[in-house]
Amino acid sequence: MAAEPEPVALPAPQRRLAPMLAHSGLVTGAVILVLLALVALLAPWLAPNSPDKTDLMRAFAAPSWAFPLGTDQFGRCLLSRLIWGARVSLEVAVAVVALSLSIGTVLGALAGYLGGVVERVFTGLNDVLLAFPGFLLALAIVAARGSSLESVVLAVSIAYVPRVAVVMRAVVLTIKPRAFIEASHAIGMSDLRILLRHVIPNAFPPVIVVATVSAATAILAEAGLSFLGLGVQPPTATWGNIIADGQTSIVEHPFISIAAGLCIAVTVIALNLLGDGLRDTLDPQMRRQTGLKAL
Amino acid sequence: MSRHLARSLAQLLLTLAGVVTVAFFLMRAIPGDPALYMLGDYATADAVAVLRAKLGLDLPILQQYLLFMQHALTGDLGTSVVTGQPAMTEIASSVPWSLALAVSGMGIAIAIGVPLGIVSASRHGSWIDRAVMVGALLGISFPVFWIGLVAILGLAHKAGLFPTLGASSEPGLWTSLHHLALPAIVLGLSVAAYIARLTRSAMLEVLGQDFIRVARAMGVSEHRILYRLALRNALVPILAVISVTFAWSLGNAILIEVVFSRPGLGSTIMKAVLARDYQLVQAGLLVLAGAVVFVNTTFNILYGVIDPRLRTR
Repeated sequence: MAAEPEPVALPAPQRRLAPMLAHSGLVTGAVILVLLALVALLAPWLAPNSPDKTDLMRAFAAPSWAFPLGTDQFGRCLLSRLIWGARVSLEVAVAVVALSLSIGTVLGALAGYLGGVVERVFTGLNDVLLAFPGFLLALAIVAARGSSLESVVLAVSIAYVPRVAVVMRAVVLTIKPRAFIEASHAIGMSDLRILLRHVIPNAFPPVIVVATVSAATAILAEAGLSFLGLGVQPPTATWGNIIADGQTSIVEHPFISIAAGLCIAVTVIALNLLGDGLRDTLDPQMRRQTGLKAL
Repeated sequence: MSRHLARSLAQLLLTLAGVVTVAFFLMRAIPGDPALYMLGDYATADAVAVLRAKLGLDLPILQQYLLFMQHALTGDLGTSVVTGQPAMTEIASSVPWSLALAVSGMGIAIAIGVPLGIVSASRHGSWIDRAVMVGALLGISFPVFWIGLVAILGLAHKAGLFPTLGASSEPGLWTSLHHLALPAIVLGLSVAAYIARLTRSAMLEVLGQDFIRVARAMGVSEHRILYRLALRNALVPILAVISVTFAWSLGNAILIEVVFSRPGLGSTIMKAVLARDYQLVQAGLLVLAGAVVFVNTTFNILYGVIDPRLRTR
């Protein structure tokens, strides 16, 4: 089969936007996420009550105008707790993506671009780190550092950096042999400039997809850690904590845990829809670039 | 082939050494004194000193590391501070439980996930494809412990089909299986969603290749194309999917063990974490990572057996 003509420059951004807007999954995911972000940002004004205010006389109250979703076993407004929980999840997702992507892409790009010993060391280290199941690694790190929001963010980021780095390296390996890289070498561009100006910008599409997946994983991991009692500590409202709180009364009052679980699910579904949509609409070569390791 | 085998085994040993190293340094990355952490805020200075000496924390870090490696080779992974028993004993007693859950869970996941992924790919764009993908999306988006809770609520409490606990002290194979069923199903379904998506990706990639196009153009029946051409070539990627998913499923298994109050490695590690029994946490982590390395190596060897192109020269 004849080689496909090499793109010498990046396609205009506008040409990528139209198919994205036509992709129903992508749009749905994006809209849900924007709504969620708004809810999280406007939490102090949106929540009808304080999420921490207890009122044992009003435990397990039925939904009412004052408490739209009722109350939990301590009389705290469930809706308010869910809204503030959205804030925590958003914070965790953004922080983890920022941290793991900034470190992971640099490491992966260096390994892929420089090759040789650097790449060998990188691959070996990665194989070792990837042998630890992500959630377990995060658990061990939180166990060692003590439970807090910072610990959770740090733990999940550390667990996810090798996964991001592997994808980045795979992508860079497909970019390296391209004609415009060779051309850049030929005109005397330094390696650093090539990396910054050509390699990394071209690696964006798969990285953005990995970002959505790592955000989804971060939210699920925070929920799991909080559920186990190792994440953000009560009485702070996080969706994982709410599920844990609801567990003791789940037979008589299942709605508490169910509602929090649904919140998590909707968020993660939106992130996955966005990620899938991006993967479909951006450069179709990308699927071959990232393959199975994208997850 | 034997070179591939030798290379795989060498990599196994190297990665295991790396795993032990990471586990060692991970637990020592704690800022502060592990002994103080373990004894709590009210410990006397003498008690802390005694514990430090006992754990060998006074020695230079490199010496500690070498000692640890040496002990690990003989199967001594430290002593549980809580029970005083060797960590290995604690772990050994929990492994059968976790193994039963992992094997049955992965079995269900593979049995459901792989066929669905293949069918989805071969009928790309049809309602089956969409239905499977929607189901898989839901499966990977709901937290697994939440699914477990809902399952316990619905199928155990309300419907009474399954026991509410993941294990029982009564003897008997049927009782054990009955208690294993719900945790295994929940684990299996959540992992199946993941496997289905990845298998579908892998199959689509194989089906998009040129030799499939040629076969179609030559008039080979779709049935033959799928079963004799596509599947064979997709075998290695699908095995890779299973290998990658196994590591991930161990994390889920911990949450399932806790939700169902089921004994096992996950529960043991959890209890150790809550009790600040860091030697046991370290040992548990090591064993789990070691299991992943073993599984990955086995699969690597298998790839070489199936596809000669993947054997190291």
